[in-house]
Amino acid sequence: MALSVPKAPGVSQMLKDGARMYSGLEEAVYRNISACKEFAQTMRSAYGPNGMNKMIINHIEKQFVTSDAGTIMRELDVEHPAAKLIVMASQMQDAEVGDGTNFVVVLAGALLESAEELLRLGITTAEIADGYEKALEKALEILPKLVCHKIEDYRDVNKVKDVLRTTIMSKQYGQEDFLNDLVSKACVSILPDEGTFNVDNIRICKILGSGLPKSEVVRGMVFKRFVEGDVTFAEKAKIAIFSCPVDIIQTETKGTVLIKSADELMKFSSGEESLLENQIKAIADAGVKVVVAGGKVGDMALHFLNKYGLMAVRLNSKFDLRRLSRSVNATVLPRITTPSQEELGYCDKVCIEELGDTTIVAFRNEGKDSRIATVVIRGATDNFMDDIERGLDDAVNSFKCLTRDGRYLPGAGATEIELATQLSAYADTLPGLEQYSVRKFANALEVFPKALAENSGFNGTEAVNLLYLAHNSESGKNIGFDIEAETASTIDAAKAKLFDLYQGKFWGLKYAVGAATTILKVDQIIMAKRAGGPKPRQAAGSDDES
Amino acid sequence: MASISLLNPRAEIARAAHALAINISAAKGLQDVMRTNLGPKGTVKMLVSGAGDIKITKDGNVLLHEMQIQHPTASMIARASTAQDDSTGDGTTTTVMLIGELLKQADIYLSEGLHPRIMADGFGKARDKALEVLEKCKVPVEINKKNLMEVANTSLKTKVHPVLADLLTEVCVDAILTIANGTDKPIDLHMVELMEMQHKTATDTQLVRGLVLDHGGRHPEMPKRLENVYILTANVSLEYEKAEVNSGFFYKTAEEREAFVLAEREFIDQRVKKVIDLKRSLCDGTDKSFVLINQKGIDPLSLDALAKEGILALRRAKRRNMERLALACGGTALNTFEDLQEEHLGYAGVVYEHVLGENKYTLVEDCKHPLSVTILIKGPNKHTILQIKDAIRDGLRSINNTIDDKALIPGAGAFEVRAYNELLVYKDTIKGKGRLAVQAFADALLVIPKSLAINSGYDAQDTMLKLVTEDRLTTDLVGLDLATGEPMKPVDMGIYDNYIVKKQILNSCSIIASNLLLVDEVMRAGLTSLKG
Repeated sequence: MALSVPKAPGVSQMLKDGARMYSGLEEAVYRNISACKEFAQTMRSAYGPNGMNKMIINHIEKQFVTSDAGTIMRELDVEHPAAKLIVMASQMQDAEVGDGTNFVVVLAGALLESAEELLRLGITTAEIADGYEKALEKALEILPKLVCHKIEDYRDVNKVKDVLRTTIMSKQYGQEDFLNDLVSKACVSILPDEGTFNVDNIRICKILGSGLPKSEVVRGMVFKRFVEGDVTFAEKAKIAIFSCPVDIIQTETKGTVLIKSADELMKFSSGEESLLENQIKAIADAGVKVVVAGGKVGDMALHFLNKYGLMAVRLNSKFDLRRLSRSVNATVLPRITTPSQEELGYCDKVCIEELGDTTIVAFRNEGKDSRIATVVIRGATDNFMDDIERGLDDAVNSFKCLTRDGRYLPGAGATEIELATQLSAYADTLPGLEQYSVRKFANALEVFPKALAENSGFNGTEAVNLLYLAHNSESGKNIGFDIEAETASTIDAAKAKLFDLYQGKFWGLKYAVGAATTILKVDQIIMAKRAGGPKPRQAAGSDDES
Repeated sequence: MASISLLNPRAEIARAAHALAINISAAKGLQDVMRTNLGPKGTVKMLVSGAGDIKITKDGNVLLHEMQIQHPTASMIARASTAQDDSTGDGTTTTVMLIGELLKQADIYLSEGLHPRIMADGFGKARDKALEVLEKCKVPVEINKKNLMEVANTSLKTKVHPVLADLLTEVCVDAILTIANGTDKPIDLHMVELMEMQHKTATDTQLVRGLVLDHGGRHPEMPKRLENVYILTANVSLEYEKAEVNSGFFYKTAEEREAFVLAEREFIDQRVKKVIDLKRSLCDGTDKSFVLINQKGIDPLSLDALAKEGILALRRAKRRNMERLALACGGTALNTFEDLQEEHLGYAGVVYEHVLGENKYTLVEDCKHPLSVTILIKGPNKHTILQIKDAIRDGLRSINNTIDDKALIPGAGAFEVRAYNELLVYKDTIKGKGRLAVQAFADALLVIPKSLAINSGYDAQDTMLKLVTEDRLTTDLVGLDLATGEPMKPVDMGIYDNYIVKKQILNSCSIIASNLLLVDEVMRAGLTSLKG
C-alpha cells in the first residue's frame, strides 16, 4: 500500500482513491429511500392481473417481455446497494415460497416511503424500525385469523384449481382457466402417495408453433431430441438406462492392441463385434425394448441395437437421465451390463412425435405411477412461451406450498386492507412514539389495493376508500377490489374464489419489513471503487458432480 | 528550503506541528466514523465492495477492514484495533474511540505549548493507575451458564438486534459448554464450526450437537435419512487412480480387454467390499445403519455398490471436518481399510440430508458425547449471515475469555466512570506538568459512556454529570441505563465486559496515542524513477 502524506483533514481522504462515503440522514438515509421508492414504483405497475408488462433487455442483449417481478429483478442487474437489499429480500421470497416476489418489493418500497415522511417529522430511524417491527409482529398475529379458505385434500383437482387460479391470474390474465387446468392436472397426477411434492417433477417443454390452446400435459417426460437408431416406437416397453456410453468398454489406462499377424487382426475385430453383440443380445433377451444412454451410442452398438429391435435414445444431461429414471422407475446403471428385472423401468409408450418442425421423444405413462409430468407449451414466439413458463412455475410453486400449508387468505387486496384496519386500531392503543410508525405501516399496506385499482384504470384513492368502508362493518373481512367491474366496486374475495397463499403473505411481510428496517438502520454507506474488468463469475454449485 | 535539497524531489514531507495535526485529525476522523457504532443502540454501516457485494455491520473491526484506509496514521490505528480483535475478540470500536479521544484531549494542552514527551509520560502514569483501578473493579465469577450468558449477551447486543442477540447468546453458551465438557482444558474454538444456510430468517439459527457438512450423498438412490448410525470416517480413495508410472495394457482379443477392465477396478472393489462386509456384519438384522464419510473421492461405480447396500456415502469431505467428525461422533479417521473394526466407527443418533435449491447439506446429529459442535447460521440473505457470523465469533470469544479470566468487569461504562474519578484523585499526588496528562487521560476515558449516551439519544453532558456524581456517592460501580438515561448498577442488570478486553484496551491505546504524539515528521520516500 503506497502511503502518501495527506493534505486536508477529514475521513474521505483516508480512504483509497475512488472510494465514496455517505453518512447521516440527508446523504445516506434519504438517498437510499428515494432509490428504493423509485424502484418500487417501477415494480408497482406490474402488480396484479392487470399489471403492465415490462420489456427488458439484459446484459447479453436478450429480450424479455414479462410482468413477473422475479424475472424483471434478475435481469435488471440492480446496482444501488439499498435497492439491492430489496431485490435480495424478494429473491429469498422466491426461494421460500416461489410466489409473491412483487409483494415484497412493493411493500418494502411503501414502507420506506412512509418512513421518509416520519423522518421529516423528526422521528429517529431506530424508532421507526422498532415501530415497524412491532407492527409486523401484530400483523403476523392477525394473519392466521384472516384465513378464509382451507384445503385439506390437495388430491382433488377441482379444489386445487380454485386456489391456483389467483396465482396464474396475476401473471397470465385471460388465459388463467386454461393454464390452471393444465397445472392442476399435472400437479395432482404426480403427487406421490407419501412424501413431499417436488417442484422438479413438473417439467416444462416449450415448442414453437401452433397456439397456446394446443398445450397439453404429458404424464412422463418429453425430450426435444431424435432417437439414435431406426426404431421409433415402442409400447409397454421395458427401459434400461445407462449413465455410460453404449459402446465398446475402454480401460481407464491406455490400452494397446498387440497384433502379430493379419489373422489376429481379423480375430480381434470379429471378437470385439461378437462381444458387443452378445451384450446387446443379453439386454434384448431381458425384455428391454428401449435403451437410454447418458453418452454416445457407438456406430457398431447402434447396428446391433437396430438388429435386435431396440429403441435407442441418448440424453446428454445427467439430470435428465436421473429424472427419467425416476419417471419410469428404473435404476441408472453405471456400466453396460445386463440389467436385472428390478433395475428395469417401464413405460406405456415411447414414441417420436412431430410438433411443428420439432421432433420430440415422449415417454408416456398412462398409469397412475408416473412420478413426473411434463407440460408441453405451444406458442407463437419464444418470449410468449417464456412468460407462460414463468406463470406456470409460480403456480407449481404455490402448489408446493399448498401441500405444506393449505391455508388461504382472501385476495384482491382484502387481506391488506383488513390488516391495515386492525393495525390502525392497534396503533391507537400504543402509548409511545411507535404508534406513528405502526400507523404508517397500516397506510403502507393500502398500496396493494391502490396498485390493483390503478393498474386497472380506476382511481386508487377511491378504491381504498370503498374498501375501508366495507371493512369497517363486521362482515366485510373478505371484501376486495373488483378489477373486472365497469366502475370502481368491491367484491367478496372468498365468494369470487380469489385466494392468496397464507405462506406467501406470511413470508412476504417478514422479508419486506426485514429489508425496510435494515435499510432504515443504515446511517453510513462506504463504497469501494467499482472493480474493473469483467463481472466475477457466478459461484458455481458443487464442483463435485457425478 | 535549503538551496540543496536533501531529499529526492519526489519525496513528500510534513514537519513538526503539521505532522501532529495530521495524526490528530486522522485519529479524530476515524473516531467520528466509529462513534455511532458503539453500544447496543449504535447504528449500522453499509459497505459496498468493489464487486458490488453488500456488507452490513456494526463491528468496528470488520468496518476498519473493509474501509480500505490509505492514510498512514489511520491505518496504524486500524492495526491497533485489529490486534485488539486478534487477542481478545472484542472492544475494537472502543480502541479506536479511545485513541481518538486521547489525542483530542492531548491536543488541547499541546496547543498551549506542552511538550509531547511530558504528555506521553503522563499517559504512562495514568495508564498504570487505571490498570490498578481495573484490578479493583474486577468481579470474580464462577463459570456457570448464567454468568456466561450475561457476558455473551452484553457482547452480542452491541452487534445484532436484541431479539437475535438473546437467541445467539443461548446458542453460543451451549456450544462452548458442550465442547468444554466439564473439563478445565483450554477450549479450541475451532471445534465450533460455523455453517451457513441461506434459508428462512436469522432467528432460525440453531445449535447442532454434531456436524453439518455442506454436501450430500452423491447417488440418487442413497438414503436421505438414517437413524442409529455407525459413522465411518476415512481418507481412502474409492476411485480409480492412474499409476504414477507410465503404464499401458497389451491385449489381443476383446475378451482380454474385458478382463482388464474388470481387473483395473479390482482393488477399488476390494475396498468397497470391506466396507460393505463390515456394514453387513454390524447392521444387518438390526435397526442400525451405516454412513461413510470419505475425504477422498468415490467413483460412480463404488457409489452404486454402496447405495445398493443402503449406505449413505459422502465424498470429498473437508479436511478439518474429518477431525471434527472424530471428536463429534467418536471413532477414528482411517487411512486404510486394512483392519476395519467396529471400534473405529463413530456413532450418531440421526443423519439426514437437507436440500436447499441446488445446495445439499448433511446433518449429523444426536451424537453421544460431542466434543465438536456446529452452529447452523440461517438468514434470508448473505449480509445477514455475515453479520451473524461475525457476531457469533465475538460472542464465542467473550465466553472463552471469561472462562480464562474467571473474572468480569461491570459494563455500561461503569469502569470508565470509576477510573475517571480515581484518576482525578490521583492527579493531585503528581507534581509538575504530568498532572495535565493525567487529567487528559481521565477526560478521554469518559468518551465511552458519553458515546453510549449520545447513541441512545440522551444529552452527553447531563448524563456524564449524573454518572460521575452518582459514582462518587457509592462504592458500587455505576453505569448508564440506556433505556432511561439514568445511572444504574450494571451488576444488578447483568451487564458485564471481559476483563482482558479492558486491560488490552488501556494498554494498547495509551501506547499508540503516545507513539502518535511523539511523531514530529511524516515522510514518504520518493519513487526512484527508473522509467523517467
